[in-house]
Amino acid sequence: MHIDKYEDAIMNCRFCFMCRHLSAIGNVRFTEVDTPRVRAAMIYGLRTGTNSFEDEDFVDALYRSDLSACCRRNCVNGYDENGLCLAARADAVEAGHAPEAVKKLAAQYAKKTGWTATGKGDVAYFLDETTAADKKTADAAKKLMTAAKAPFKTITGGCIGKALKVLGYLGEAKVSAEAFAAFLKAEGVKTLVVSNPAAFDALTKDYPEMGIKLGCKVYCISGYLVASKVAFRKAAGEVYYLADDFMRNYDGCACPEKLLKALKAVNKPFGTNDEETYCCGEGAVVLDKLYPDVVKALAEYVAARADDPKKDRIVVLSAYTKKYLAKYGKLDVVTMDELAASCL
Amino acid sequence: MTVKPDSYMYEMIRTELTDAVGEANVDVKFADKFGHSIDYYWIPEMWHDRGRKCPQPDFVVHPGSTEEVVKVMKIANQYRIPVVPWGGGSGSQGGALPIYNGIVLDMKRMNKVIKVDKTALTVTAQTGIITKHLEWACNKEGLSTMHLPASISCSTIGGFLAHRGTGVLSTKYGKIEDMVMSLEVVTPTGEVIRTLPVPRHASGPDLTMLFLGSEGTLGVITEVTLKIHPQPESRQFRAYIFKDFHTAMQAGQTLMRSRLQPCAMRLYDETETKTHVSKVFGINLDKGAYLVFGFDGRKDIVDLQMKHAREIMEDQFKGQDLGAKGGEWWWENKYKFFYPGYMFHVPQAFGTLDTVADFSHIENVYWAMKKVVNTEFPDARFIGHFSHWYDWGCMLYARFIFPGDKVPPNAQEAAALYNAVWDRAIRAAIREGGVINEHHGVGLKLGRYVKDLYGTAMPVLEGIKAKLDPNGIMNPGKMGFAGC
Repeated sequence: MHIDKYEDAIMNCRFCFMCRHLSAIGNVRFTEVDTPRVRAAMIYGLRTGTNSFEDEDFVDALYRSDLSACCRRNCVNGYDENGLCLAARADAVEAGHAPEAVKKLAAQYAKKTGWTATGKGDVAYFLDETTAADKKTADAAKKLMTAAKAPFKTITGGCIGKALKVLGYLGEAKVSAEAFAAFLKAEGVKTLVVSNPAAFDALTKDYPEMGIKLGCKVYCISGYLVASKVAFRKAAGEVYYLADDFMRNYDGCACPEKLLKALKAVNKPFGTNDEETYCCGEGAVVLDKLYPDVVKALAEYVAARADDPKKDRIVVLSAYTKKYLAKYGKLDVVTMDELAASCL
Repeated sequence: MTVKPDSYMYEMIRTELTDAVGEANVDVKFADKFGHSIDYYWIPEMWHDRGRKCPQPDFVVHPGSTEEVVKVMKIANQYRIPVVPWGGGSGSQGGALPIYNGIVLDMKRMNKVIKVDKTALTVTAQTGIITKHLEWACNKEGLSTMHLPASISCSTIGGFLAHRGTGVLSTKYGKIEDMVMSLEVVTPTGEVIRTLPVPRHASGPDLTMLFLGSEGTLGVITEVTLKIHPQPESRQFRAYIFKDFHTAMQAGQTLMRSRLQPCAMRLYDETETKTHVSKVFGINLDKGAYLVFGFDGRKDIVDLQMKHAREIMEDQFKGQDLGAKGGEWWWENKYKFFYPGYMFHVPQAFGTLDTVADFSHIENVYWAMKKVVNTEFPDARFIGHFSHWYDWGCMLYARFIFPGDKVPPNAQEAAALYNAVWDRAIRAAIREGGVINEHHGVGLKLGRYVKDLYGTAMPVLEGIKAKLDPNGIMNPGKMGFAGC
């Protein structure tokens, strides 16, 4: 089983409480089942028969995890309950116990292959569907790419495998990823830039794990702007940058912080601590589609921690997080792309 | 009482609970109930490890207000359903286990910080707040509860109140009972009471103290006002290695009797220093006993106290100075001790023989328990440290550890072995003047010793319980009280 690769997490997280305070879902649902401890204990129970994938509530809890990886980041041992949860999803899928909503969603993503490229050059900007849905961010990204002064093409299209992987459909995820890699190769892409941290994580972590070689250098847009030495004429001023699940907790990169410096942003600490996630389930990629009520609660939780919800300028990396913090949290949120574009 | 899920009474009660707290706040699914069937007590952990099912609640109820707690208590009394308050579920004594099924009252939805009073330096909060979240809220204001236990990240403040918990700065700032100004409590019959607003008075017996440590057997603590403190200008630590634990104990006692005011002190015996402290710090301390202490407050006063403390450690007791760095190792790693890999873990069998005694008795308690474990259970290892120091004595955090391959695979046999160690070691501690225990509570694990401990005072305690909880629904079978 896939879970067997996470023996440390199974045996140690099952009776450990040390990251309880960082369980984002647990903190808004007030439940034990939505904690790394209980998920790991239930996964252990698969071996002894105490628990089973036939228990729909157990499988439901696996899919409700926010996958922020705050637990892993703050664990002195780095035990990967996040990875364990993903592995258990894959096992549930292979055992035929994926929830109906998950099956439908996975089928939709599996069909969403096919990309188009417009523009010229061996630099490409991948406008994923989440970012594309936020016109302000998409426009800002275009401005920023132009400011970098290298000819570029824009690639648009569907699933590059991340959503399928997160849903536990590993075979289908690999098919999508291989197709995207082939498309990039056919387009002669040597440098690929993305705004969406989930896409960055897929391309830099998931693809190598799947044995897929992209043949191009992947940048997050912050990193690309810093590397391109784009000049910013205006200072960003006072902002609250919310550390990103993928960039911080998945060890993505520190480029966003470097860009904030280049933007002369005065970054104020948000909330009461820098350990929790404030990304509304971004790490779970499709949490909004499976559990919209939970995402709403997560956004409200974040909003309640703002110093001044009406005045604070919140900066996030993903259009996903922006959407929900603005919609449910009623916060003034911009993406890093928008902030940077406003400083050109 | 078990309400069979396929009975119409189950649905009748669920309907009433739903009416009280809202449908989303009554969990009846297996996975939710499973999550409340195991706490941090070794027995249910081992039981699960062996593939056995632990007792589960019939209903997990998440009240959002004191009024909702009242409603739940009325329903529970109406139908004589056991109610077990649950905070973070991280207790090591089985105090929050639903051993008779019934209702688990998960308090975490009551997580609001109600007021930070910067004039009186107090904070008022609902008791379901995770203590780390409360501490963070105070830190944001430049203040601190100074209640920094190893379980700060998983335990609610209500859990600490219910079990008389303590934190690493207890020597200066006290245990949780020393930090409380007042409480709001819902009694077992559903009345809301408030204890007097200040802890120092001459207006009769102190009801606040009655509920602290009552482990959910006398009511549900719903709100608390705690003292808080400014963050100190300076906090300094220093550590020493002494030739043996006895010498270090003498040095520690002398420091306490000097009436200097350390904020924390820890003394690890030779075995724990070598095997455990070394591992956590990532350095080799293979000889002697490690002692660390610290002071905090105004820098000039901290400096002066440290100077005098050093004279005691170095001039009087010839401690090997590990310097401030040796003290910082401990402060920076104070929670690391409790992570898997550093803390003991199933399949090992382990227990914390938490005992407190005055300085005249504490060493005898240590030797008595060590002798029991070493001679009667040769497969077990015994280690100990002294972790909460007061003017008059300290707490012994003694532990026994069986390697996994020495623990019977059969769950009943494993439980019997485990309980035998407790029986022998705890009774030895009581004989030597020890009190069980200092900050983990009684729960299910130690309930059978409470009659020994209280002696002729036990009927008084039982009388209070009977008066407050006439139907015996509050956390039955815990703290030595009757089951149901």
